[in-house]
Amino acid sequence: MNLIREIWQSIVRRDPLSTDKGKSELVFLNVWLHIHPAKVKKEHFKFNHTFYLGFITFFLFLVLVTTGIALMCYYRPYPSVAYQDMKDLQFVVFMGPFLRSMHRWAAHAMVICVFLHMCRVFYTGSYKKPRQFNWVVGVILLLLTLGLSFTGYLLPWDQLAFWAITVGTNIGGYAPFVGNYIRELLLGGHTVGQEALIRFYVLHVAVLPSLVILLTIVHFWRIRKDGGLSRPIWKLKPNKPEELVTIGATPQTAPLQAVAASSDKTYGLMEVVTGKPIFETVAPEEEEDAVFSYPFAFFREAIALMATVTVVMATSLFWHAPLEELANPAKTPNPAKAPWYFLGLQELVSHSALIGGVVAPSLMVLALLVIPYFDRNPSRRPSDRKWAIWLFTIFVVINLVLIVIGTFFRGPGWAFVPPWVHVVAGAE
Amino acid sequence: MGRRLPQIFFALSLFALVLIIAAVWQASTPSWKKYQHEYLQMEAQGEPNAVTKAAVLNTPPQIQQILLPGLQRVDRCTTCHQGVEDPTMKNAPEPFHYHQGLGPHVPSKFGCTICHGGQGLATDVKDAHGNVPFWQTPLLPADYVRASCGRCHKEGDIPGVPELTEGRRLFETEGCRGCHKLNGIGGSIGPDLSEEGASLRSPQWLEQHFLNPSAVSPGSAMPNFHFTRGQARALTYYMLSLTNADMGAYYASEPLIPSPSYGRELFVQKDCLVCHSIGGVGAKVGPDLLGVTKRHSTNWLDEQLVNPQLVYPGSSMPAFDMPATERKAVIAFLATATATDAQAIVAGKGQAPTPEDAAIAAGKLDFGRFGCAGCHGTDLQGGVPNPNAQGGEVPSLLHLASDYSKDDVLEIIRNGRVPPLANTKGPQPPLYMPAWKNLLSDEDIHQIVEFLWSKQQKSQDNW
Repeated sequence: MNLIREIWQSIVRRDPLSTDKGKSELVFLNVWLHIHPAKVKKEHFKFNHTFYLGFITFFLFLVLVTTGIALMCYYRPYPSVAYQDMKDLQFVVFMGPFLRSMHRWAAHAMVICVFLHMCRVFYTGSYKKPRQFNWVVGVILLLLTLGLSFTGYLLPWDQLAFWAITVGTNIGGYAPFVGNYIRELLLGGHTVGQEALIRFYVLHVAVLPSLVILLTIVHFWRIRKDGGLSRPIWKLKPNKPEELVTIGATPQTAPLQAVAASSDKTYGLMEVVTGKPIFETVAPEEEEDAVFSYPFAFFREAIALMATVTVVMATSLFWHAPLEELANPAKTPNPAKAPWYFLGLQELVSHSALIGGVVAPSLMVLALLVIPYFDRNPSRRPSDRKWAIWLFTIFVVINLVLIVIGTFFRGPGWAFVPPWVHVVAGAE
Repeated sequence: MGRRLPQIFFALSLFALVLIIAAVWQASTPSWKKYQHEYLQMEAQGEPNAVTKAAVLNTPPQIQQILLPGLQRVDRCTTCHQGVEDPTMKNAPEPFHYHQGLGPHVPSKFGCTICHGGQGLATDVKDAHGNVPFWQTPLLPADYVRASCGRCHKEGDIPGVPELTEGRRLFETEGCRGCHKLNGIGGSIGPDLSEEGASLRSPQWLEQHFLNPSAVSPGSAMPNFHFTRGQARALTYYMLSLTNADMGAYYASEPLIPSPSYGRELFVQKDCLVCHSIGGVGAKVGPDLLGVTKRHSTNWLDEQLVNPQLVYPGSSMPAFDMPATERKAVIAFLATATATDAQAIVAGKGQAPTPEDAAIAAGKLDFGRFGCAGCHGTDLQGGVPNPNAQGGEVPSLLHLASDYSKDDVLEIIRNGRVPPLANTKGPQPPLYMPAWKNLLSDEDIHQIVEFLWSKQQKSQDNW
């Protein structure tokens, strides 16, 4: 028994979780958990403020990495065999359809969740000082997520994949001066072919995931350094400037107890260096709401993880990812559609190549990137920022409407066809 | 709420476990396992021996597949249709029924989808039979399967499929090319028909279309030709056989069908005319082969090709290591061969073969057969590493003539030779020339030397 206890102690190296010291040590003696503070405020984990969308997005990414690595064992990125490998996954590989469906549905879900996460951050004003740069990192992560989904779209090498990428890269080709160069760099040629497949594969399994992981680390680190997860700070007690204390940086050497906020609170190195806290600040009484991350935060996160995984698994069990016929460059489906999240752009391109292919996407990305620097209003209270909320809502609604039109209301020849009208394709 | 967290987490984890078990169950109960189980029980039924019976029943379920690499096809149909090649399953119910009347088209070489259509990659009933979205070639109805013969047999009469001959004739005589392109020739009023067999149109649609175009395709520009039912059927067969995929070429190039043309290729490749003649054309070392299939039975000829020594002890004909299909092909060619063929073959070679050619050809065969090529290379290039021999490798034989006479070489082959050492104090090189005189007849050795001399190159660097 003693040996077992010794082995266990050598692994965890902390006091029992029943003690406060043990609860703190669980966090800061563990390399994976110490991105968390040892203690959190309850409002950080208020579900109806953040909806845990950031967590869910990250957990979906974990699901994607896991299933993606498993899928890599069965997939060869070469046109003549790629499609056959998909069929083998469908018919021969043990749990192949389940694996592929999980990857596909988690990918769609991640695109949706990243977008919803961005909306939540905007509506709660969480991009404001000091979190401006983290918003920018988030926008880049959104673009990388779209890139991951787009590059993965080609890999099955079916008609859906081939023509979605053909249309998608054609939209990119409309950019002035550089558009065609970027398109050819991406495709390794003028059309989607064997070179494009290997390039998309490398981007999909190596380049983009690495970038996402690197930027996710920055994103999380910044959250911690900027005062923790977003919370409805305008609903809390108003600041009393003379009684400011900082939260976040905990002196790790001192015994961790609930220290009453007072002038003798120890400060982290950064405050001492700058002389001025860079974190969100709250009233001292609030310090008393702080609870240990274990179990308060960890169980909530674990529940979010399990909920994400079970939803993806349940969906994949009953609803398998589609696979159309083998890619055929000689046979264009009518209409050929880009992946759904680019259908808003395709809809715009159908009206004007310049606006849809160049002006609109550039402006959209630029606008998203500069939001935190352009919006000088320091208040996060919704009633103080009606204009911002209206503008952003219009932006979101226009995007959604365009995507819905492109997805459901466009038939052969990009003609307006409501989804309830059946058009016989290929009629002579 | 706070207290319930661990419970919720536990419940969700349990739910996840249930989902995983469900997924495993879903993956481990495919329908093909059920069919294999039924088949094994059928097989075991008539088995008197209890041990064999248990062995049959305990055969692990396995996906069966026929790989056709040249056609990028994988047919897994035999996973369920287990009895296709087993004549004892003649009276078994589907899907275990024995496939009769296939002739040379054995499923293990040809697969199934090549004739029947369907999705060979699939392993469940619905997907495999191909009546699913996004699969272009569903299973052909039984009435139309014979149309597939035309996919490989693109010319001439096909025994048992008069419809195809009739369809082709109708297409060329009724003026179809006026509107339709086929393989690049024809008008462009109607659709190109070169890939019609791979299109999504069903046979029934095609047949209706020939009987009355506007009935199935309103507003079609195609006039009603008032074809009879038989003609419509014939044209439908022809349409179904149209595909650009060069399957015929694949099967013809693969030694699957012992056709006379394949046999002729082998006949040329093996240089048979070096010894034999046909109708007096060729060498006179061996017997004339005109009408040889009438003088001897097929079995006799086959044995002769396997091992001439067994049929005629002391025969100078070498044993050509040919698989059964190749032997059949050569015999099929011999049945049709005439002096004209021989003349064409000789003309193709550029010169009439001489007895010297025969010796060289035999020498080449010996050079490979007795293992000389193992060290000296198939092209006499040498180059196999041989540490501490002079030069460090087995010598090339391409420049023998500049250092040795024929007699020197005969001597070396007879008695063998240890290569001179690069470093006299070093170890013996691992490879050396063995003595062959007890293994090879003098005639063989002479033939090998003739072969070597026929390959000598002028030394490039005679400084």
